[in-house]
Amino acid sequence: MNEPVLVLDRLRKTFGDFTAVHEMSLSVPRGSVYGFLGPNGAGKTTTIRMTLAIYEPTEGSISILGRPSALEVRDRIGYLPEEKGLYKKMTGRDIIAYFASLKGMKRDAARARAAELLDKYGLGEFKDRKCEALSKGMGQKVQVLASIAHRPEFVILDEPFSGLDPVNQQVLEQVIRDLRDDGTTIIFSTHIMEHAERLCDRLVLIAKGRKLFDGTVAEARRTIPRRLIIQTQVDPSALRHVGGVAGVRALGKDDKYEVTLSEGADADHVLAACFQNGISLRSFDRSEPTLRDVFLKFVGAEDAEEVVS
Amino acid sequence: MRNAWLVAAREYGENVRTKGFWIGILIFPILITIGIKAESWLERAKSTRNFVVVDQSGKFDSAIETALARLQEKAIAREFQSYMSRNAATPQAPTAEQLDQMKAGEPAKSDFEQMTEAEAKSLIALSLLSGGLKPNAPPFEVPRTPFRRVPAPDGVDTSAAPGAIADALRPFLRGDRKITVEGEDAELFATLIIPKDVDERVERPGDKRKKRADRDGAQYWSANLADSDLREELERAINEEQRRVEYVAKGLDGKTVEAVQQTKVPLARFDPKKAAGAEEVSIADQIRQWAPVGFVYLLWISIFSISQMLLNNTIEEKSNRLIEVLLSSVTSWELMVGKLVGIAAVGMTMLGAWLGFLVAILAINSGPEAKVATSLLEVLKTSGLLPAFAVYFLLGYLLYGALFLALGSVCNTLKEAQNMMQPVVLIMIVPLMTMMFIPKDPNGTVATVLSWIPIYTPFVMMNRAAASPPMFEIVGTTILLAITVVITLWFAGRIFRIGVLRTGQPPKLMELVRWLRH
Repeated sequence: MNEPVLVLDRLRKTFGDFTAVHEMSLSVPRGSVYGFLGPNGAGKTTTIRMTLAIYEPTEGSISILGRPSALEVRDRIGYLPEEKGLYKKMTGRDIIAYFASLKGMKRDAARARAAELLDKYGLGEFKDRKCEALSKGMGQKVQVLASIAHRPEFVILDEPFSGLDPVNQQVLEQVIRDLRDDGTTIIFSTHIMEHAERLCDRLVLIAKGRKLFDGTVAEARRTIPRRLIIQTQVDPSALRHVGGVAGVRALGKDDKYEVTLSEGADADHVLAACFQNGISLRSFDRSEPTLRDVFLKFVGAEDAEEVVS
Repeated sequence: MRNAWLVAAREYGENVRTKGFWIGILIFPILITIGIKAESWLERAKSTRNFVVVDQSGKFDSAIETALARLQEKAIAREFQSYMSRNAATPQAPTAEQLDQMKAGEPAKSDFEQMTEAEAKSLIALSLLSGGLKPNAPPFEVPRTPFRRVPAPDGVDTSAAPGAIADALRPFLRGDRKITVEGEDAELFATLIIPKDVDERVERPGDKRKKRADRDGAQYWSANLADSDLREELERAINEEQRRVEYVAKGLDGKTVEAVQQTKVPLARFDPKKAAGAEEVSIADQIRQWAPVGFVYLLWISIFSISQMLLNNTIEEKSNRLIEVLLSSVTSWELMVGKLVGIAAVGMTMLGAWLGFLVAILAINSGPEAKVATSLLEVLKTSGLLPAFAVYFLLGYLLYGALFLALGSVCNTLKEAQNMMQPVVLIMIVPLMTMMFIPKDPNGTVATVLSWIPIYTPFVMMNRAAASPPMFEIVGTTILLAITVVITLWFAGRIFRIGVLRTGQPPKLMELVRWLRH
């Protein structure tokens, strides 16, 4: 049961002279929500397509649900591709039922399940509406539901949030949480950090086809030095000599200073030191690093621009 | 294979639910019915046409009257036969010939070419009495006269020169003015003007006169010269009369002349390939020879319209990237087979409906007066055309369907596909061009050579089906076609597998070859 759902071992994919993915290795534990983060063109989609055996890897090996190829376990996987589209002339219900039945569900069960999902996620009244009459967001939700209707144990969602309005993004987050609560393993790729921050247990950072980081969200945060932002009218240089403080830097306005902590340092310690040194504080901000900061560190401001903005 | 069936079922369901499909199915019987009925509808819709004859010579009046009466009698005879076949109590009811014998107590005429209104009515009354007709048969309706001779309108001086008469009648003929017939306004359709000195204008062998004005004998005026029935009838009537008069003038007896004029040598047509005693070429034989052309056309239309469907929805799935979801659920081979089967089922539903309608409409319309419908039905039932059609449809569809699927899989938009289809369309057009002349020489060199080219085999062999081509050609070309189909499917499968996931420019030919080796 604790065997990872997906193991990629030094996966490589080239298209002609262009190498889209270099030496990609990772392991997705069962029951986790795993984020693929990276700028456009980073190789996320290519990695996902190789995982699903849509592309054959140039080198390296895959183990998915204990098998070397997704083709052998197709029915246990759900997949939402990056580019979204539907059969225009079919109703949402028929589409969900069709894809569920392609994954081995019986016809009647698939239809019942399609209706249940549409009701549950707020599309009940559009069940029998043809897809060409649905809004883009609704169509996308239908497609998400189509990818999970057969109750897969492993779901791969490629950019599920792109193109959704904030309300539908929340619905989609709920879908992912519900899946996780049912014990489903989920991979999703995104470039919106907030979703990753709220949903992921683990994440992998990819840029230019290479893996830059792989680990839990907490581990990701720990990769960049922790900082405190203090606001005071007294010169806080004395803090430099306090244990656990790596540096103090004026931020230049509003009497704000950035205090960098060394690894394992305790912020409370610094607070106590402030009182001892007579530095009267107007504010003391622990300023936990965000995934955005992690990103900036790994990807570099240039590449991160489009990702984080 | 369950997945292939699911794909097929979806393709079928989606295409069968479109309006286009139902319009396609229903338009066919409507067209056929119109084709069969159009002539009689047009005939019935035609109003009686009024014409004026100004015969200044006074020689042709009675001849024209006789010709008109003969036309009307022919129409009555036709209507009578149709009436009898519609209303006969049983198929074994007395035929018109037997009735005629009953009435006259003498041997029947071989055929009813002409009959008067009185004759028709008395025969019908007789057969009603003898129980030959259904008791509730409607009364016999005498067909309307197609042409009616009317006097010249008031104010037209019929003794004036022909040119002046024509000028006076011009506004009537052009439809600017109406004539009055039986108290009602009517249009004047035509005018025949025969000048007083018509005898001097008659052409005879050896005439040296060249001036056109001299050669104008009679003048036929009409705003509608395309409808030549009346003109031909009048021309025949006055020429027969002129010749009769000249025979008599040369000392022949008038009765003899009339008898001679009605003499004719019947020309029957025979086919040397038929067994002795059955050489006569019947309508059924004609149909047997030409019906395949209809089937070739049907084959062509159906194969290409449904292959086109295949192309379109492959491109749809590709352009909206549904293909990725599909390929995470089914293999590309299952997808391709599912599509081929699903669309084939759509095509077969349509063709089945069409052929069903065709047979049903022919059956409804067949009868002694509808020789073509009856013979066509007979040919369909007895010849091997239908089974041949089924086989060639299936093989032809698989061949072209696979080709179009492969084509669709490498294109991203319909526009790209249309560009790539251009050469295919050029190749496809050949069987349509040869369609009409192959029946004239069905086992000739061109037909034989084309038969052995697999992409043409279905059409050309269908074309030749009625001419019993050599058995080894039938079997040989079919085997060659089947092998080609298998190879094409295999190639198409490879191209499809790589093509459907590809985006960007369609591949070059060399690249395709590399995919095949891959």
